[in-house]
Amino acid sequence: MSIADKAGVHRVLPDGRCDIILRFCATARPINSITIVVTGPTTRHYDVLLEPGMGFAGIRLRPGFLHAILGLRPMVLRDGNLVGEAAIEACAPLSELGAKANSPDDLPGRLVAFVRHRIALGHFLPPMQALRILSAFHASGGRLRVKDVARMQGISTRTVQRIVQSATGLSPKSYARILQFHRALRLLRDHRMRPSEAAFEAGYADQAHMTNALRDFGGLTSTELGDVTLVTLGD
Amino acid sequence: MTVRFGYTILYVPDVPATVAFYEAAFGMTLRFLHESRLYAEMETGATALAFASEEMAEMNGVAIRPLRAVDLAQAVEVALICDDPHTLWDRAVAAGASPLTPPTTRPWGQVVGHVRDLNGGLVELCSDMKAIA
Repeated sequence: MSIADKAGVHRVLPDGRCDIILRFCATARPINSITIVVTGPTTRHYDVLLEPGMGFAGIRLRPGFLHAILGLRPMVLRDGNLVGEAAIEACAPLSELGAKANSPDDLPGRLVAFVRHRIALGHFLPPMQALRILSAFHASGGRLRVKDVARMQGISTRTVQRIVQSATGLSPKSYARILQFHRALRLLRDHRMRPSEAAFEAGYADQAHMTNALRDFGGLTSTELGDVTLVTLGD
Repeated sequence: MTVRFGYTILYVPDVPATVAFYEAAFGMTLRFLHESRLYAEMETGATALAFASEEMAEMNGVAIRPLRAVDLAQAVEVALICDDPHTLWDRAVAAGASPLTPPTTRPWGQVVGHVRDLNGGLVELCSDMKAIA
């Protein structure tokens, strides 16, 4: 959860996930005007304009679980989102997230409880094969080709494409490129590798390819990585 | 500076399932399972055989080619020394290991067989060379 203390911009990176976000005015008590936002999988970064006192509580949904949690296919939300009434119209149970809250601190727990409850219902849970395929893409930092993953799983390339598209709303190639971008960013920012070393380890043909990915996916450069959030499959 | 060999860590899709398999197939015992269920160590003496979830590879900043049962085996094997490789090989296969090379006596006197574990990892079951020397 975060509350903006001044006007600004928050950059959101593509990470192959869908989010449920509660947007609210943090200065009001009780909090009685909560806007529900469901964001779809994106392939490019976007910026959220912040105003002082604007609060956000959000939960990133594990890849493959949007259908189980909200009954929605990620494909229909690709590069888009559902805001307010549109979100509730698409998934009526979301309305319970908009109930009055005594404090912003109540909202993260409310989100977690909602997601756990929806998963416990057991509807549209992703098959184990889909989870293994997504895990393979993550574990390899997006470096495995679609045909490699297909061979590892003993299935066809077309089946991998269908499974990843259904689970994430993205093609496996796009999904892998996003994971590769995240790993490069992590190597540069968290492990302080030099750009040439990070490009090699992340599996880019050369540093220029990594530079292009940083720009296209994040609007970043290897020397200006920005204050962005990186997530892994386990987060 | 003194360096010692501390762990072999296998990144696996499912840590608890892998622990259960190694217990059933090879008679090993669990030393430690983290509450997250993402990391475990087997009771293997001074040098630990550990299992970490594939998720941990990403969290640690490393990239791997994950183990998969139907994939070509990776270029590494875990060797388990035992009194009777024939009996252990049968037990492992009965527990779901994929049979590879049945135990045979090699020219140097050691009995060596191979199976693949539930994840496709190579496991060698062998007699102790010290017993031969």
